[in-house]
Amino acid sequence: MGERTRQVLPSVLSVLLALAVCWLTIALTRDADTATKAYLQMLWGGVGNWPAYLEGGNANSVLRPLGEAAMKAALLTLTGLSVAVAFKVGLFNIGAQGQMIWGALAAALVGAHVSLPAVLHVPLALLAAAMAGAVWSSIAGILKLKRGVHEVISTIMLNWVAVSLVDNWLVIGPLRAVAQGHQSSITGTPEILSTAQLPRLLGDSSRLNLGFPLALVAALAVWVWLSRTRSGYETRAVGLTPEAARAAGIPTLWRAGGAMALAGALAGLAGAVLVLGTEGRYPGSLGAPYGFDGIAIALIGNNHPLGAAVSAAVFGILRAGGTRMQLLGVHKSFPELIQGFALLFVAGRMVWLALLNRRRARQAAVEVPRA
Amino acid sequence: MLEVLHSLLFSTLDAAPALVFAALGAMLSERAGVVSVGVEGMMRMGAFCAAVAALAIPTPLAVLVGMAAGAGLAAVHGFLSIRWRSDQVVSGMALNLVAMAGGTFLLESLFGPNGTPAITQLSRWDLPGLAGVPLLGALSGHAAPTYLALTLPFLFHLLLSRTPLGLRLRAVGDKPHAVATLGLSVSGLRWAAVLGGGLMAGLGGAVLSTAVLDRFEQHTPAGLGFMALAAMVFGRWTPLGAFAAALFFAFGNALRIGLASSAPWLLELVPQGFLLALPYLLTLLVLALQGQRGHAPAALGTPYEQESR
Repeated sequence: MGERTRQVLPSVLSVLLALAVCWLTIALTRDADTATKAYLQMLWGGVGNWPAYLEGGNANSVLRPLGEAAMKAALLTLTGLSVAVAFKVGLFNIGAQGQMIWGALAAALVGAHVSLPAVLHVPLALLAAAMAGAVWSSIAGILKLKRGVHEVISTIMLNWVAVSLVDNWLVIGPLRAVAQGHQSSITGTPEILSTAQLPRLLGDSSRLNLGFPLALVAALAVWVWLSRTRSGYETRAVGLTPEAARAAGIPTLWRAGGAMALAGALAGLAGAVLVLGTEGRYPGSLGAPYGFDGIAIALIGNNHPLGAAVSAAVFGILRAGGTRMQLLGVHKSFPELIQGFALLFVAGRMVWLALLNRRRARQAAVEVPRA
Repeated sequence: MLEVLHSLLFSTLDAAPALVFAALGAMLSERAGVVSVGVEGMMRMGAFCAAVAALAIPTPLAVLVGMAAGAGLAAVHGFLSIRWRSDQVVSGMALNLVAMAGGTFLLESLFGPNGTPAITQLSRWDLPGLAGVPLLGALSGHAAPTYLALTLPFLFHLLLSRTPLGLRLRAVGDKPHAVATLGLSVSGLRWAAVLGGGLMAGLGGAVLSTAVLDRFEQHTPAGLGFMALAAMVFGRWTPLGAFAAALFFAFGNALRIGLASSAPWLLELVPQGFLLALPYLLTLLVLALQGQRGHAPAALGTPYEQESR
């Protein structure tokens, strides 16, 4: 096994194993046929129903699922990158959720209250979101570096502060959209202006928007930064052996702080993509625990920027397709269960690597006397 | 005024046990050197299994089932992190994800999205003689877990500071190699702490579904496990510190709910979201002021390998 294979293989096998376990679960609770059909539905719901399309169906049956999957993948990629970047410098960022909340709020405010041509408006809203996320994560970074407060605890705390302040105060209080006429049940901030919307890429048939390529570019940029630039190299060095990095004259505090700020910026961008791409405003609450999904995505992607993008794509497809399982009466939370099991198997990869090795060793032992 | 304070104390004592148990469980595991971010998942499993069991058997016994469920999930954590030296944080987060998605799946396929049917709640005890006394009367009328939560931290304190077992548990979290040199089993002690932590986290969850509520709902425990972790760190990995911090969080929560109903004028001045954020902001502030270097067990998060030194 080459070095690269050894890094990628555990994740791939973990995802496959998780798929198998969940297939078995459906098969045991229902029957094997339903399980297979449900998986097919999940696949068609994620990558498009190609058989139906090739038989002369509507292009929408392919475009819409692909768009949904790409949309989910964009969010997962950005939060996954956020967690992965912090990991690279040895910090565990549980706070992507909170950073994303502030990013989403910043994007919603800039999107609604600033009027600019689209070429400037979208970048400005994205920038504001990234800044907001970076500021929020930097609180945890500074507490860690200056006062030694463990980042796991401070980011959990900051998540709650963000939820409390934004979801339970700002967007239902001072920043709430002013109700017009009979729309008194409106929740969240005002609708963003059309100039701040991320353009749709496949027309009206699919919700796929600029957020997906943006997330891919972010993954690529983070990868280039980490593997090809000096500061990226220094960041990884700090994560691997802080003492050696310090001894080599690397400004460890700056690198760690920078990585944490970048992590927050990426999570903030995820918030912007959600608001500018699909929601159109800061909704009453963010809804799904995107930040926690990012942890799974980063870890299954082996903390590699491109690995995170691939793992986000896989789970984006499963997530988008998961809702289709309901057609067969199979519960829609299976994609999340698969994600959880995959992470569990990633954590337990030593177990099955050892099992594989033992089997190989036994085979070798049998072969030797024959020779 | 006295009445408001009374009801605040009462609801604090009603809500605190879940946090106290989970924080004690996390502390037990972490003092032995095994990171315990999976507490949330263990609570969720405990809460779910206790509620389901209470449909068939008496509720006090169902609480034991919930504890066992917490320990079952902890065993997975132990298997991965002690036996196979996996990354403890990864393993814990994986447990949280599996418990989150698995709990939702089981709940909805067995009972539907609105939660389990109502069960018999744990009975509440009136302490004779206390009920009429101002303020102290808030101690009366709680279910058994509340009284357990008020005593257990002191027992844990004695266990950790006064018994050989406690000394060994602490040693295994600070210097596992020294413990091994004495001929004691590092993995045995860590297994005991992790399973004990799972029992406590399961108990914390079971309290939610059998005493605080009378069913398991989709959002139980809604982040309480993470709050328990924070209480443990806030309390500097000590039983009494974790206890105090858990009470503080529970009080903060009771304050928010209590003020909304008893002093609506205050909410005109201070937004509820801000009150909600206050306990966390205060915790951050205290952590920032005191700093946290040197409180965590020295070997926390490092898998034990006999060969390494």
